[in-house]
Amino acid sequence: MKLAERLLSIVIRDREHRDAILGDLREERARQVRRLGAAGATRWHLRQSAGIAARYGMARMLRRKPPVRWIAMAADDAAGSRWIGTRDILYAWRSIAQRPGLSAVVVITLAVALAANSTTYSMADALVLRPYRFPGIDRLLVVTTGSPDATFLDRENVSAADFREWRDQSSTIRDWALYQWWDANLSGVDIPEQVAGFRVSPGYFALLGVTPVLGREFVSEEAEPGQHRRVVIGHALWTRRFAANPQVVGTTVRFDGEPYEVVGVAPDKFSIPDGAEVWAPLALTDTQWQNRRGADYGAFARLADGETVERARAELTTIMNAQRRDHVDTNTNRLARVLPFMAGMADPGAGPFMAVTQAAAILLLLIACANIANLLMARGSERSAEYSLRLALGASRARLFSQTLLEGVLLSGMALILAMPLLAIGLSLSRAAIPASLIRFIPGWSFIAIDLRLFTITALLGTAAMLVFSLLPALQAVRTQVAESLRQSGRTLTSGRNRQWLRSTLATTQMALALALLFASTLAISAANRTVDGILGYDKHNVLVGQLVLPERTYEDAEKRRQFIATVIDAMRPTPAVTHIGMTSHIPAGLGGNSRRFFSEGVETTEPNARLVDFRRVTSEYFGALKIPLRRGRWFDDNDRTGTTAVAVVSAALAEQYWGDQNPIGKRFKVAVDGPWLTVVGVSGNTVHNWFTRRLETVYRPISQDVPNSVAFAVRTVGDPTALVGDLRRAVAAADSDQPIASLMPLAQLVEERAAGFTFIANAIGVVAVIALILSILGIYSLMAYLTAQRTQEIGVRMALGAGRWQVIRATTKRALAITAAGTIVGAVLAFAVGRVMQAVLLGLVTTNVMQLLVIVVLLASAALLAAYFPARRAARIDPMNALRET
Amino acid sequence: MAPIYLGEFEYAVLLAVLHLDAEAYAVPIRELIEQRTGRPVARGALYTGLDRLEAKGCLRSRMGDATEERGGKARRYFTVTSPGLRAIRATHESLSNMARGLESILGHE
Repeated sequence: MKLAERLLSIVIRDREHRDAILGDLREERARQVRRLGAAGATRWHLRQSAGIAARYGMARMLRRKPPVRWIAMAADDAAGSRWIGTRDILYAWRSIAQRPGLSAVVVITLAVALAANSTTYSMADALVLRPYRFPGIDRLLVVTTGSPDATFLDRENVSAADFREWRDQSSTIRDWALYQWWDANLSGVDIPEQVAGFRVSPGYFALLGVTPVLGREFVSEEAEPGQHRRVVIGHALWTRRFAANPQVVGTTVRFDGEPYEVVGVAPDKFSIPDGAEVWAPLALTDTQWQNRRGADYGAFARLADGETVERARAELTTIMNAQRRDHVDTNTNRLARVLPFMAGMADPGAGPFMAVTQAAAILLLLIACANIANLLMARGSERSAEYSLRLALGASRARLFSQTLLEGVLLSGMALILAMPLLAIGLSLSRAAIPASLIRFIPGWSFIAIDLRLFTITALLGTAAMLVFSLLPALQAVRTQVAESLRQSGRTLTSGRNRQWLRSTLATTQMALALALLFASTLAISAANRTVDGILGYDKHNVLVGQLVLPERTYEDAEKRRQFIATVIDAMRPTPAVTHIGMTSHIPAGLGGNSRRFFSEGVETTEPNARLVDFRRVTSEYFGALKIPLRRGRWFDDNDRTGTTAVAVVSAALAEQYWGDQNPIGKRFKVAVDGPWLTVVGVSGNTVHNWFTRRLETVYRPISQDVPNSVAFAVRTVGDPTALVGDLRRAVAAADSDQPIASLMPLAQLVEERAAGFTFIANAIGVVAVIALILSILGIYSLMAYLTAQRTQEIGVRMALGAGRWQVIRATTKRALAITAAGTIVGAVLAFAVGRVMQAVLLGLVTTNVMQLLVIVVLLASAALLAAYFPARRAARIDPMNALRET
Repeated sequence: MAPIYLGEFEYAVLLAVLHLDAEAYAVPIRELIEQRTGRPVARGALYTGLDRLEAKGCLRSRMGDATEERGGKARRYFTVTSPGLRAIRATHESLSNMARGLESILGHE
């Protein structure tokens, strides 16, 4: 009873009339109780209410308001009225309000598409296009070298000796700066902290156009070894650790256990490069300046006045090519890489990802436009009679156009108002989706904001599209013969053939685009899942990872480093539930990595041509902690010490690569031209360090023979790894109270965070795709509903002439079937193309899967057909007499 | 002013309202039409038809008193307006004009 009455109250607006009907039904129900019993009567009541509700709903859908409105307007036209006035605005508003459902769909569609586009564009702008914003940035260059087959630009691939020659020989460059990564451990405080630090050549800040907010930057004397213990601290660090103390300049701070004098504080938000929080002078000895082998510096350059990027690139390429000829053993593969600052500093992965997302958003906008166009055209054809009549009565064409324009402007205006809050929501959701631990590595993060300029551009585009499509019907009305048009849109059947064709094409396009977009999003999402849940070669569950870097000066002595590691492991040993305590120089999925060139015994290889392999220094227990299987031979044992044979364990992929079918145990190799021979004692399973390089070749060395400065403890427990956080922290503090832990989290979380950027993009595409799907189904549904409503009379005639319900449904869905078929075929082809592009962009993480495509096709096609079926079924329920009379 | 054009169903509804006079609300109207024409009448069709006739100016409605039997909901009574009456006459006249001379086929009356 409740349900039945609610149903009616949805459809019938007039309260008194509704109550009268509700009363009638109750009155009749009382009689039905006698005949059918209480339950039967309730069913009867519901059935009758639904019937009435459907009839009212139908009547409302089909209702065409009497044309009084436009006749009044026509009279106005005849009076030769003004160009445009309040009356026109009112008129435009009324024509919008006359079709509230349709107008709402148009407005919402445009608003959603605009918001999605502006969101992705704002993100792309902040993260990829303009992540650095300071004056003079267009004169800055990133100069580095790279091997011909390198996928990504390696900014820090410059040797000191090479750099010195560039500086001395180039004339197109005014200023140079050299920098090097520095894991700065802030010590001598309650809680030591590892800070992203860089050693930079004096003049670095000036080159970047930055002046410290307090104090000064480095002077050239400070680049001498011994004079270098000065720091400029970042604004964030200054606020976080020094309470923004204005007297901080001149005080002494301890880094890596050594005293450094604070000479300046960098301005807010300055963190070049790579989220730097502290800078110290780069003080190289003469020997270091002559080193051409080690290439881990980065270089910035400022163009001399009147010079261009192209000229600088040409000059530097010449210099570097000479170096490649002169220093074959080191420089053969150091090709010149000279890029404008923005391009050079861009995250190598972010660009393509954002491009994919942006492409998805543009597709969405296209779908939305097709949707809107279709709806407006449908509406326009309904109104062509109005246009024709008004033209016949003497309205000027300009007037008709300006009114149609006005309607379009009103609709877009509403869409814009709606898009604003949607955009704000979209941006805050996007910001929330990136894990906090990654933010400092994302330059431009702080620039993510609503960009009014961008929004305006998108809005103008959307509005333009809207206007074009609202003008089309008016244009058609003007072109066709007045009498012809009046006849066509009067009591006859469907609207003109041309228009139908255009509309079907639009709907088909929409289907195809949505299909491609959906497919792309499933690809991206499955790729993201693969980075998190795919085969890693190790067990990421129940492992706590603590990463830290031992300062080079305090821990210069290898024995001291070994001692530190042993102390921490011994302190952790008694902890309940802990089964393994492993240690490695670089944890898989960690931020850092270490690769070495591989020289197999008996194979002549020059240094630049040697392949890179991952290089890890580990304890034997590390393999147990990560559950990496032993394939052959043995792990390290107590006999592997300094002084005994230098040994190594290699991954199965490496053994396969270099020794094929031969037994790798006992084979020898080197990881540096001048390094010692290492003997293989065991073969481990493969592990994936990083899904992007996906290098599986790994060399493991025992820490008893080679101790690193970067240390990652991997503690396996039977329970929740986070429960051990306190224990590991205490163990490290007990071994060295000045030693900060850079990162302390479960391995599973580390793996997830590594994929976070990827997951973020994948989800963004997914969201866009789902919106696109909804829009296109909405589009097909509203188109079908509209067309069916327009064909009411035809359907009435057919039924009056004896057509059955199914025949009517078939006749009305025939077009939807054609649209769906064409849309899916075109869409599938498009989807395959998109799949290929994604495969290229996402570095082979993506595999195009025909089954996935099929599932999406079936899903989309059935949704589209359902969307067409409902209006058709409703059409089949029309009482032929009523249908014929409805006009 | 030309009389309003009436459809067959509308014609029947107006006649039923005339028959029922002061008691003309939806329930007896429907019953009367079903009884006299022998054809089932969908409630939804009747309600939308009544609304349409009122919009055309053939009918006027007023709300009656609420009764217990109807769950406190009032009845909506209809009366035929003078344009309505004119429309009925015109329709009746045009139909009988059409039928004139066909008495032998249509039977007596």
